[in-house]
Amino acid sequence: MENLSIIILFLFILFTLLGAGVWVGLALMGVAWVGMELFTSRPVGDVMITTIWASSSSWTLTALPLFIWMGEILYRTRLSEDMFRGLSPWMGGLPGGLVHTNIVGCTVFAAVSGSSAATLTTVGKMSIPELRKRKYPEPIIIGTLAGAATLGLMIPPSLTLIVYGVTINESITKLFFAGILPGLVLAFMFMTYVAVYSKISKKWNPTSDPVMSFAEKLKNSRFLIPVLCLIAVVIGSMYFGFATATEAAAFGVIGALILAAAQGTLTPRTFSASLMGATRTSAMIALILAGAAFLSLSMGFTGLPRGLANLIADLNLSRFELLMVLLVFYIILGMFLDGISSVVLTMAVVEPMIRQAGIDLIWFGIFIVVVVEMAQITPPIGFNLFVLQGMTGHEMSFIARAGFAMFLIMVLMVFVLIAFPELATWLPDNIRNQPG
Amino acid sequence: MQYVKKIRHLLDGLYLVSGVAAAFCLIAILFLIVVQMLARWTGEMFPGAPNYAGYAMAAASFLAFANALNHGAHIRVSIVLNAVSPFWNRIINTACFMVGTAVAWYFVYYATRFTFWSWKFHEVSQGQDATALWIPQSAMVVGAIVLAIALTDNLLHLLLRGEDRVIKSDLESASE
Repeated sequence: MENLSIIILFLFILFTLLGAGVWVGLALMGVAWVGMELFTSRPVGDVMITTIWASSSSWTLTALPLFIWMGEILYRTRLSEDMFRGLSPWMGGLPGGLVHTNIVGCTVFAAVSGSSAATLTTVGKMSIPELRKRKYPEPIIIGTLAGAATLGLMIPPSLTLIVYGVTINESITKLFFAGILPGLVLAFMFMTYVAVYSKISKKWNPTSDPVMSFAEKLKNSRFLIPVLCLIAVVIGSMYFGFATATEAAAFGVIGALILAAAQGTLTPRTFSASLMGATRTSAMIALILAGAAFLSLSMGFTGLPRGLANLIADLNLSRFELLMVLLVFYIILGMFLDGISSVVLTMAVVEPMIRQAGIDLIWFGIFIVVVVEMAQITPPIGFNLFVLQGMTGHEMSFIARAGFAMFLIMVLMVFVLIAFPELATWLPDNIRNQPG
Repeated sequence: MQYVKKIRHLLDGLYLVSGVAAAFCLIAILFLIVVQMLARWTGEMFPGAPNYAGYAMAAASFLAFANALNHGAHIRVSIVLNAVSPFWNRIINTACFMVGTAVAWYFVYYATRFTFWSWKFHEVSQGQDATALWIPQSAMVVGAIVLAIALTDNLLHLLLRGEDRVIKSDLESASE
């Protein structure tokens, strides 16, 4: 790599701005500007606007605000109450008991929302007090919730996968389907852990609920059926090729509005709150994406991505070794940055490396999401830890320790993905062709 | 004092109006996509719908930037800010607002020029919609200006009153 000292200066400015707390999107723009000024003689300002305008007005991006809005609407319905009441009768008999409502609840809500914090609060609002009342051990209540809520990032619709897809120009529908099986496997691994824990722990002594008949169970979960139908419509319409990801998101918003109206929770206040919330969240991501679009252009001029790709080629790293290096790298990065920022920040550099190594980019999307999920529950900056701290009042260190087993399970999941790549690639290869 | 209050009122109104306009753009996206789907199913054509949805997306993003800033929705790494003493917190935070403000006004300058040239040369979209590009691009300029004003507003507030005007922790609609 030529210009090594300038590249080091460039990276130094990048991390200084980010570390000092400049808003990620603006920091990326600033750094990209520095990079362009250092490495090219082009008219920087004009190039910046052309790039940012092209990336912000893209049609693919429109799936993002719509899926966020869908989640925001459902977040303001009675789904939280219905979820616990509907799931608990079915989970009571399993080893591990009602703790499974945490995991299954998160999996279900993850399928209507692309965000991990919304999943966490929706499920936790009801399940934490209910599980405490039944004397389940506190660490396992908190830990499973922190871990399972991260499924919101993997199970479609997933904001991280939309952002990843937009950044590297891959089909969002394909990425969504790539996330389904790994998401379910991960949920199953969490549940297995809970079942084993309940058998070996000495502190496991919850009070059990009265056993219900099958008809009663059904009666209790009847409120969940509309949500499950909504999930089926959104995912099914993409799978059978009736709709693109954006169109499926539009179905989702309309379905969520109907559902909320039928429940009577759709008031002018909740409607505008959900709309404004969605607008802000999508603007937040759009700012990061705008900055990232300019930065990746600028990165190209620095020669850093090409240089690193060549370096990796020269080192003769096997795919496995490369993935291990990236795993450690993303875990460290994830301690300080949120998932979406770390994806967009690194893809300009990592993408050539991955292509060079011949790794499937759809598969890599799922790999990166699992790793980003871990970041949600690792201190010092783990978003789920903050949310749980706000909800339960526990110390950050207590929550992080409670979630550590889930972290290890996710590490295990990375190896499962490497051993069985078909988990992520089989479904997307088998979906029907989508409309133009 | 009266004067200051009036400006305060005006600015807050500006951020709100801009945010609400962004929300309407979001509804427009939904509307465009539904109409396009209906058109496809009934065998009709709605040429240019993806482009229009793209413009609405850009407008929804840019117009909401300032509102999102004041609600603390924009992500920043706060680990250093939280770790240092209040004195250093104020200094670093001021520096952050200075960098942010500078980037935003730089963007405004070039975005205005860019849009001005599209208008001057009657630049038209390459897609089926054949929209005159300065129209959707103006939304980007307006949004960028409102964001730059909001950042400047916060910076001045921070310098004069010792704190910014960002609402702390917006967990209600947390992003991740």
